[in-house]
Amino acid sequence: MKPIIKISHLDKYFGKLHVLKDVSLEIVPKEVCCVIGRSGSGKSTLLRCINFLEEPSEGIIEVDGLEVNVTVKGKQRRQLVHDLRLKTGMVFQEFNLFPHLSVIENVSEGPITVKNMDKANAIEIAEMNLKRVGMLDKRDEFPSRLSGGQKQRVAIARALAMEPQVMLFDEPTSALDPELIGEVLTVMKKLAEEGTTMMVVTHEMGFAQEVADRIIVLADGEIIEEGPPDQLFGNQQDKRTQALLERYIN
Amino acid sequence: MSLSGHRNESQKILTQGDLIFAAQNRTKRIFTTNVAISWALLLLFLLFLFSGITFSIGGHTFKTIHLDTEFIKENVGFIASGVGVTIGISILSILLATILALLAALGRLSKIPPIYALSTFYVSLIRGTPLYLQIFFFFLALPQLGIILTGMFAGVLALGLNYGAYMSEIFRAGLSSVGKGQREAALALGMTPNQMMRRVVIPQALRFSIPPTGNEFIAMLKDSALVSATGFVHELMWRATRVGRAQFHNLEALIIAAVFYWIMTLVFSGLQGRLEAYMARGDR
Repeated sequence: MKPIIKISHLDKYFGKLHVLKDVSLEIVPKEVCCVIGRSGSGKSTLLRCINFLEEPSEGIIEVDGLEVNVTVKGKQRRQLVHDLRLKTGMVFQEFNLFPHLSVIENVSEGPITVKNMDKANAIEIAEMNLKRVGMLDKRDEFPSRLSGGQKQRVAIARALAMEPQVMLFDEPTSALDPELIGEVLTVMKKLAEEGTTMMVVTHEMGFAQEVADRIIVLADGEIIEEGPPDQLFGNQQDKRTQALLERYIN
Repeated sequence: MSLSGHRNESQKILTQGDLIFAAQNRTKRIFTTNVAISWALLLLFLLFLFSGITFSIGGHTFKTIHLDTEFIKENVGFIASGVGVTIGISILSILLATILALLAALGRLSKIPPIYALSTFYVSLIRGTPLYLQIFFFFLALPQLGIILTGMFAGVLALGLNYGAYMSEIFRAGLSSVGKGQREAALALGMTPNQMMRRVVIPQALRFSIPPTGNEFIAMLKDSALVSATGFVHELMWRATRVGRAQFHNLEALIIAAVFYWIMTLVFSGLQGRLEAYMARGDR
């Protein structure tokens, strides 16, 4: 199958710090790919390079046939990055809901402002996506009145409302109280079952094991191991993977 | 009936927390009451000081300040009719100042050197010169260049420019109070930097900036008195000095104006407090 995300020879430096070292990977449509690794392994940076929230230092990012090479500069580059962002939806660790907008306004903001959609249509799409994440009953609340789990579900709906080709999740449950993690993971699992292409940076090994089609292990800015959950949890090749999964094996 | 009711009351168990809370409340109430009484006494003393009463203690005769009540009665209406003008100038000036402050703050955050320079140049120039001078500059110096402004226009321009420079700090703080995550979320949705500013950053910065802008407005009410120096804007201060000088009753005239300024400040501070409470009630 033709990959929907193709990352080729991606390098990222923060000053002199080499955080991503010649990373290449492909994700096919409808695949759920979990990226795991210790803090500082570069997994969030990898995800953020895909929609250029971090500027890659070297390499080519391709999403749904749209190729962005870092050598392209200026106006052409801005246009490409903009188009790239339309193809990707992002969910952040800290939710980043817009506090001055109600739930329904948060979700319809993208279609209205970015896609120039008329308000009635945008509201309809927003309501449909709020329903998908089970948050329609809170449509008129403000984010400050929601729990962390509820906020994250609204944030997922906000990204879905743009109808992206790929959903990127950057540690979506890391800022949540333990008892609120479940509701977010349930929503993500449902999206996976619906056939959403997802790339998920996570520490939730249980989720990765259950939902992922493939797990990528990152260490020191390199992919050290990848494969289906069974293979990875059953028979790791690398010592660092073993250390990472220690608590979850057996 | 009443007996059992009384019994229920006495059976209500008070926790230690309740007792401490009640004691703290009592202390707070006593303090507030005492402050109010002291305020009233100070006010009475001030009234007494200007009452014109003569009295003697132990053979020494003391005279308090005598105010010409006839003059006050005759002129209080004339001076009071400046209140509207004072508030009007302040509203126009604060509007101008708000726009300039927002532009200056955006310029200050710009990465384009000429825009950044323009913003810092404006703020530095205005803050480096007296407001009094700026008012005169627009009113007296510009005519030499063939630009003649009315006193009102020159005053609003000077006050707006001056407050805009100071208030740019408020808006800068407002803009930087909007976290990086908010910008990233907007960009990730596909917004252009312009859309991000317009739809996400500026609305939040404005909410943050409204209460301090209220404070600036109150300060503006009083600084608007400087516009009287042009001699052509008939606001509170101009009216007070006009009748005061003409009849050599500056004492009475200025006291009347002072009372009006003070009342305006109290009223707008009260409104400001409500506004702040209202804004705090909201999100985040």
